[in-house]
This record gives sequence, C-alpha cells and structure tokens, in this order.
Amino acid sequence: MVKQFIIIGNSAAGIAAVEAIRKRDKASKITVISDEEYSAYCRCLITAYLSGEIKEEQVFFRPQDFYKANNIELLLNKKVARVDPKKNRIVLEDKAQLGYDALMIATGARPKFPELKGIKRTGVFGFRTLKDAQNISGLLPVTKTVCVLGGGLIGLKAAYALKKRNIDVKVIIKSRQVLSQLLDSEAAGFVQQRLESHGIEVLLGQDAAEIIGEGDIKAVKLDSGKAIGCSMVIVGKGVSPNIELIKETQVQSNEGIIANNLLQTSVPNIFTGGDSCESFDITLGEHTINALWPVAVEQGKIAGANMAGDSLNYEGSVGMNSVEFFGLPIVSLGIYKIKEGNAAVEELKLNDAKRNLYKKLILENNILVGAILVGDIKNSGVFLRLIRERVDVSPFKSELLGENFGYPTIKDFVKTKERFYV
Amino acid sequence: MKQLYYDVKKCLGCKSCEIACAVAHSLTGELFKALAEEKKSLPRKKVLAAGGKNYPVSCRHCEDPKCVDACMSACLTYDSEKGIVQHDESRCVGCWMCVMVCPYGAIRPNLKTKIPIRCDKCKDKDEPACVKACPTGAIIWQEEVLVEK
Repeated sequence: MVKQFIIIGNSAAGIAAVEAIRKRDKASKITVISDEEYSAYCRCLITAYLSGEIKEEQVFFRPQDFYKANNIELLLNKKVARVDPKKNRIVLEDKAQLGYDALMIATGARPKFPELKGIKRTGVFGFRTLKDAQNISGLLPVTKTVCVLGGGLIGLKAAYALKKRNIDVKVIIKSRQVLSQLLDSEAAGFVQQRLESHGIEVLLGQDAAEIIGEGDIKAVKLDSGKAIGCSMVIVGKGVSPNIELIKETQVQSNEGIIANNLLQTSVPNIFTGGDSCESFDITLGEHTINALWPVAVEQGKIAGANMAGDSLNYEGSVGMNSVEFFGLPIVSLGIYKIKEGNAAVEELKLNDAKRNLYKKLILENNILVGAILVGDIKNSGVFLRLIRERVDVSPFKSELLGENFGYPTIKDFVKTKERFYV
Repeated sequence: MKQLYYDVKKCLGCKSCEIACAVAHSLTGELFKALAEEKKSLPRKKVLAAGGKNYPVSCRHCEDPKCVDACMSACLTYDSEKGIVQHDESRCVGCWMCVMVCPYGAIRPNLKTKIPIRCDKCKDKDEPACVKACPTGAIIWQEEVLVEK
C-alpha cells in the first residue's frame, strides 16, 4: 500500500526524517511543508553569510534537485494552521486539507521578542531565518551602529558577523556574563575578553527598556536610564517552539511537543524532532528541548525510520554547543554549572589565561555529566562519548585533563568493542 | 574496502607516521620544504600512549558517521563504495561540530586554516603514507575484517 507521509518543517530534523524514510521506502508519497520560501538551508550558517565568510548559495545543505531526486512534494510558503489527529489530516492556513498515514512535526521555533516599547519598529530584527540575514545585510551600507539584545549564542553570533562587516556593535546583556546558558562565569570571561579585544562592546547586567525613534530607530534606552544611539536592533532573547498547531489536540506538549523514546508523540502516528521537540536529556535525566543542529538531525533520522515502520530507540539528547569567536573555539557539553551543596559532584579544572585555555569537567558520582572547553577543543567528542555512555571515569580520572588524554585511555571502558587495534 | 589496523604490540611510539602524514598532506610533499610552508601541514594521525602501549589515532571512516550527521554545511558525506568520509573543504566553515561529536577524538581543529584535520586514507595514492613510514610494520593496510561484536 502506498502511504502518505507529511513532514512539517524543511530543516535539519525534517530533511533527516525524509532521508530516513526514503532509505527504507522508495514508493510512498512524502510531502514536505515549509512556511519559508527556500529549499532546505542551515540556519546556523546565516552568521557566516551575514559576516561575508560564505556566499548565499552555501547555506543550502542539500542540492536544488534533492526533492525531485527523492520524489518529494515540496510545499513552500505554506503554513499549517492545525493538526487534526482524529481524522489524520492537517489544515493549512489557506484552508487546504491534507491527509496522512504518519506525520512528522518539525516546525522549529521562532525568536522571542520582549515586550518593550518600540519593539515593533522597522529596524528591529530577529536573527533566525535567511530572510532576517538578507534584510539585515541589505541595511548595512546605511548602518553605523547596531544594538544586540541578549548575550546568548544568537546575539553573540550576530554581533560577531556585524563586527566582521565593520559595524559598531553593542551587546546589551541582562545577565552578569555572556553565554549564561552554556558557560560558567570563568569561561564566559575568556569569551567576553576576546569579543572586546575585537571591538565589540559588551554591557553586562543591563536590560533594554525602550527602543526610541520616530520612524527610524534612534537609540535603545536602558533600564539605567542611559540611551545608546543606534539605527538597528537585533534581538537574541531565546526562542519559543512553534507548537500552536497541536494546541487543543490529543498531542501532548509542555514547552515543546513531548516525545517518547521512539520520537513518537502521545498520538502514535505523529512524530516530532528538532527545536519543537521536548525529549529525554541524558545529563538532566528529564525531558527538555535541546534546540541544536546535531540533535535535530539525530532525532529526525530516528523519527523518520520509525515512521517508516522501524522501531529505533532514541537514547536521548545532550546539550552540546560548538562556537568560535575570532579564533577562540568553545565547546560546551551537558551540565555547565553545578547546583550548590551537591556532595556527589566534583569539578576538574584547568585555567591558563596566558595560553587562553580553560577546561572544566563536571563529574557526578564519577560519571561525566558536563564539560566546558575553551581554547582547546580537541577530544571534545571523547568527552561527549563519556557523557552519553555514562562511563565510570574513576580508573582514569587523573588523566582526563592531561595532554596525553584521548580515546586510547577510555577504549576498554566504552560500549563498542574495539576492532582497529589488534 | 581497505582499512587501517594497528598492531599495538609493534608500535614504538616513534611518531614516524605523524611526520609522514603531515608531509604527505603538505603542498610540496617534501619534509624540509613543508616545514617552511606558511600554513604548516599538521598530522592527521596522533600517537597517544595508554596503559604502557602506544595507539595511533585517526579517523576510522565509520559506516554510520556521527560527524556527517552533525555537519551543518554538508561538506561531509559518506561514500559507501569507497568506505570513506569525504570532506569538501570548499564548503567547510570550521564550525567544529565534527570535532565535537567524533567518538574517537580523531578529528582535530586547525585553528589557523579553520578546517578540521582528519585522515583521508591518502585517497589519491595506492597506500597511505603512514603505512609506508612505519618502521616496525605496526600499521596494517588491508581489506576490512569482521570482528565479532
């Protein structure tokens, strides 16, 4: 029987699901729906596009003939208004209805805009879509100063890209440190110093109170009362998952759509993955959203396989981020700050400011649950493996931060049997 | 397809493989000229000691490669016929996702070139440079063997 698969979302999780289905099933119909106008592109690359490091065509992570070659119907500029699980159909905003045998909801997320006076003004941008990057880029010839709201990854990546284009950038951060969702304050200090030494102004512990201007933006007024002149504002204050389409249905959600270990929702023929998916997190031991590219691909791959009849188990996600600012690489894995008073927790640390090196490993009952690596990120995959496999590191704990540490040290303690060393 | 195996009993940790690898991937392909190159060629293999033995570590070209899944620019692809993870450096943006997820720590970042360095099995040559360079025959280049899991 020819089945109909519908994938809502045309990014990491959606495309991975499509490929996983096609690997198992060449005949069924697959429809991919996107509310954007482009074939699949990588959001993470819009920074490199805005900075001028890559050309626009390089953001597309599959060739233009991908859909035709895989016999996929692609619907662009179409938004799904709601899912009707009882009738196995979706309803688009233009009222069109489509039926499915299995559905993948990989609708992603959208930037959160704080409720500020002036936030709706022209010249205030999120930084998520290719369109955002194109619009920002188009205004740069007439832009001198930009205020970035938020010191998370999105805010700092936007700031970095703009600085590369010789724009004055001021980053306004409510928290007392940059990257407060990924790094401890010591590691954040290294990053802040690198940004500042390249001319990005970082304002900590301050929040925007108003965006001032008549027509064009003139300034951002801070909660301290001070105003900072600028003609553009970029908002990097986190994202919220696009899950309105399942509200008031049997599909259960919390912050995101709740997925089980098959990446199935509470409705068995509806699956989810990517930034809209709330799945089990190995280090936290509870469900959360890890809105990250590699997580989305892994989830899409498993969800797609299971839509096509497999029953692959998803062991769970781990928070993992890799970013580089002006030659300073940073990787953050799992838990990055420990709760006070937990006696089972231990920190291993190396701080060498002269060499721009900072490494911190967090162990809980001798199991690695988190790592921060600044300046030297080699072996980060080995640390990730220890985290994922929950390996007891006591036999080699003293070697973890040593120069000679690497896979050979852990090889007898991990799950997969070695076959390359005889 | 051929794979690299290591007889660790024979490995002395002399790092001849590291040097041969760096030279083979340099612009000139000659040791002394390679040392003078502006962007110095780095070895794609590292010999690490553990438990009194030496282990050369380099990309294993996994059949279900985590690096390819994590690659956001699609510069990494798995060529199942050749059994090799192909790296299109022209598309690579140096995001280090592959470094972050490699379970063997076999991919290292070259911060100068912003391109990760990884073994390519010396794909244009009949035999990898490390195999030729190993003085004790510890590096074995042979058809894949199935090991019981």
